[in-house]
Amino acid sequence: MEQTEIKEQFVRQLTQHQNRLYGYVYSLLGDHGRAADVVQETNLVLWRKIDEFQPDKPFLPWAFAIARFQVLACLRDHKRDRLLLDAELVEVMSDEVERKADQIDAIRAALRHCLQLLSANNRELVDRRYDRGMSVADIAEAVDRTIGSIKVALLRIRRQLAECVQQRLAAEE
Amino acid sequence: MLDEQGIERLREILKSDVSARSHFVNMQMISAAIQLEGDAGLTPQLEDIHPLTPSPRHPNTLSPSHLVTPSRRSASFLLAVAASLLILMLGIWLVSSFITDDSDRPSQVAGTVDREVRDTSKEPTAHGVAMVTRLVGVTWGDDQTAVEAGDALPAGRFAIQTGHAQIEFFCGATLVVEGPAELELESAIYARMKHGRLRAHVPPAARGFSIEVDDLKVVDLGTEFGLSVSPNSTGVQVFDGEVELHPSTSERRLLKSGQAVVRKAAGEYQDAQAVPESFVDIAGLESRARLQDAARYGRWKEWSDKLRRDPRLIAYYAFAEQGDWERRLACSNEPANPKLDGAIVGAREVTGRWNAKRALEFKQPADRVRVQIPGEYSSLTLACWAKIDSLDRWYNSLFLTDGYDKGEPHWQILDDGRLYFSVRPVNRGEPGPRDYKALSPSFWKPSLNGKWIHLAVTYDVDTDTIVHYLNGKARSRHAVPEAQMPSTTRIGTASIGNWALPTQPDARFAIRNLNGSMDEFVMFAAALTADEVKEMYECGRR
Repeated sequence: MEQTEIKEQFVRQLTQHQNRLYGYVYSLLGDHGRAADVVQETNLVLWRKIDEFQPDKPFLPWAFAIARFQVLACLRDHKRDRLLLDAELVEVMSDEVERKADQIDAIRAALRHCLQLLSANNRELVDRRYDRGMSVADIAEAVDRTIGSIKVALLRIRRQLAECVQQRLAAEE
Repeated sequence: MLDEQGIERLREILKSDVSARSHFVNMQMISAAIQLEGDAGLTPQLEDIHPLTPSPRHPNTLSPSHLVTPSRRSASFLLAVAASLLILMLGIWLVSSFITDDSDRPSQVAGTVDREVRDTSKEPTAHGVAMVTRLVGVTWGDDQTAVEAGDALPAGRFAIQTGHAQIEFFCGATLVVEGPAELELESAIYARMKHGRLRAHVPPAARGFSIEVDDLKVVDLGTEFGLSVSPNSTGVQVFDGEVELHPSTSERRLLKSGQAVVRKAAGEYQDAQAVPESFVDIAGLESRARLQDAARYGRWKEWSDKLRRDPRLIAYYAFAEQGDWERRLACSNEPANPKLDGAIVGAREVTGRWNAKRALEFKQPADRVRVQIPGEYSSLTLACWAKIDSLDRWYNSLFLTDGYDKGEPHWQILDDGRLYFSVRPVNRGEPGPRDYKALSPSFWKPSLNGKWIHLAVTYDVDTDTIVHYLNGKARSRHAVPEAQMPSTTRIGTASIGNWALPTQPDARFAIRNLNGSMDEFVMFAAALTADEVKEMYECGRR
C-alpha cells in the first residue's frame, strides 16, 4: 500500500475513534481536562508509531493499549493529586473499560434521550456542571443551595441517567 | 472530592468486588458521555467546520441546556484536537472522516423534543391588589421602594412625595393620587387614606369600592369623587353619581353629584362647595403624562445627538427617524456612514419608548435587522433598549454575529432569563480554550413583560472582565481567564434581534428571534464605565 494511503487510513481511523479513546481515558481518570490532555498525548504517540500501524488489523486494541500506557504515565506524573484509581486498578479494569468505551456512541445516543427526561432543575444542574464546567461550590452558590445538596443531586442525576441509559441499551439489544 | 481515606476505601472496594467495578465503569462512561454532550454546547456545527458539507443547519441548536443537541457537532472539540494535530502533519483535510463519523446519528427537530410534563404547582403566580398605570413627576420617600408604571402593588403602604400616580385596583376602581400622599392598600376593593389628595373614578363594575379615613368611611356607589386629607381637615366632594359617608360619630349620609362636605379638626361635617378642578382627573393626568413624555423624549434626544459624535462608537442605531424607513435602519453615527445602515427583514415599525420615537417589533422567526460592520476592535460595549414580550425561544437573540469565529461576540438571553454574552477565543475547528460564557443570574420576571428595559454588556480586555447591566445597574461581573478573553474582536455580518441566515434555500434555521421590540442599539469600541452605563439608562428611561 502506498505510504500516503496508509496515512490517510490511519487518520481516518484515529478520527473515527476519538470519542472512544476519550471515553476510555475519562473513565480511568475521571477528569475532563486531564482526560483531554491524555487523549491528545495518545494521538501524538500513535502518530509517532505509525510504522506499527497495520491497516488490515483492528485499530482500537492498539490505540487502547497506547492510551493505557498514557493513563499510567499520567498517574505516575500526578502522584500527589489524589486521583481515584491507582495503577493496579487501571490494569484490572482496562478490559472492561475498553468494552464500554467501544459502545460510547450508543451510550451517547441513549443519553441524549435520557437527558430530555430530566426535570428542568436537574437539567440545569447538569448544564452548569458539565457544559459550563462550574465547580460544585459555584453551582451551590448560584442556585443558593448547600454544596452537599448539590453533590447529592448530581449523584442522583448520574444514577438516574445511568439507569435510563442502561434500560435503553438493553431494549435495543 | 473524596479525601485520602475515601479514595483508599473506594479503591479497596473496587479491587475486591467485580460488580462494584462494573458499576463504576458504567457510571464513569456515562460521565464521559455527558462531558462529550456538554462539550457540544455552543460549539459550531459540522458545516461550520467545513462550509461545503452538504447537510442543512438543524434547528436543534435550540436546546436550552445545550444538552439535547444532536451529535453532528458534538464531538467537535475532540475532532478538532485530532484534526488540527493531523492536518499539520499531513497537510490534508479529511473532512470526509468527520462526516462518516457522525452522519448516521439521529437528528431531532425542535418540535419533537418533549418538555417536562406540566407541574401545576409551578404555574407562575403574582400577588397584588392593584396596579400602578401612570406616574407623572413622582418622587419617592426614603422609606418607599420606587415602583414603575405597570408594576403590581401588593397590599400595604403606598406613599409618594410629589407628583401624581394613577392606581388601578383589581376591582376596577381607579385612583389618581396627588403627592405628598400616603395610603394603605388593604384589598382589591378597599384602601385607607392617611393623608394627601386623591380622585377616585369608580365605574359601575367596581361599585362598593370604599376608602376609609380615620373615623370616616366613604363607600362608592358608582361614581367619581375627590378626597383630601390633611392633619386638620378632611374633605369629600362628589363630582358624579353618589357616595355614602359612614362617619363613626354620626349618622350615615348620602352625598350626591355636586355636593361636598368638609370637617375641620375634630368638628362636625359641614357642607362645602365642590371644586372638581382642584382634583386632577384621569384625562388631566393623561395630558400631564404626555408633557412628561415629551420632556423625557427631549432629554433623550439631547443625549442621543451628543452620542452620535462619540469617537468610541462602532455603530449607533437610534431608531429616531419618523416615517418611512424604506426597510432601512439608518446608522446614526456622525459623520454619517451609510455603509453601516441596517437592513430590516420582516420586523415591523411600532411606537417606541415615547410617542415621538419609533421601534422595531420582532415577532416572526425570521424577523431581524441585518448589519455589516467591518473592522477590528478590542474592548466592546453593547447596549440596547428592548421590550420583551416573552422569552419563549431557547436563545432569545439580542445581537449575534452570523458565524461564531475568533473574536466574534454573541449576546442573547436564555429562556430562563439569564443574560448570555460570549466571545469565541479561537477560530472554528481550531484547538484551544473554550469560549467563556458570561451568564448573569436570571433577571426575568413576568412583570417585566412589555416594559422597556435597558440592557448592556461591557467586554473589557484590559481587566479581562465582562459585566452585564440591567437598567443601568451591574447585574453580574465575570472575571474571565486570559486565555478565554481574545483581545481582538470583530463583527462582520450580524443580526440584531435574530441569528444568522439560512445558508441554503431549503435549510432550516434555529429560531432565536427576540419576541419583543427594540428601539435603540449601540455598540462602542470600548468598555464603558458603570457611570456611563447608568447615564445611558437615566437619559433614556421613560
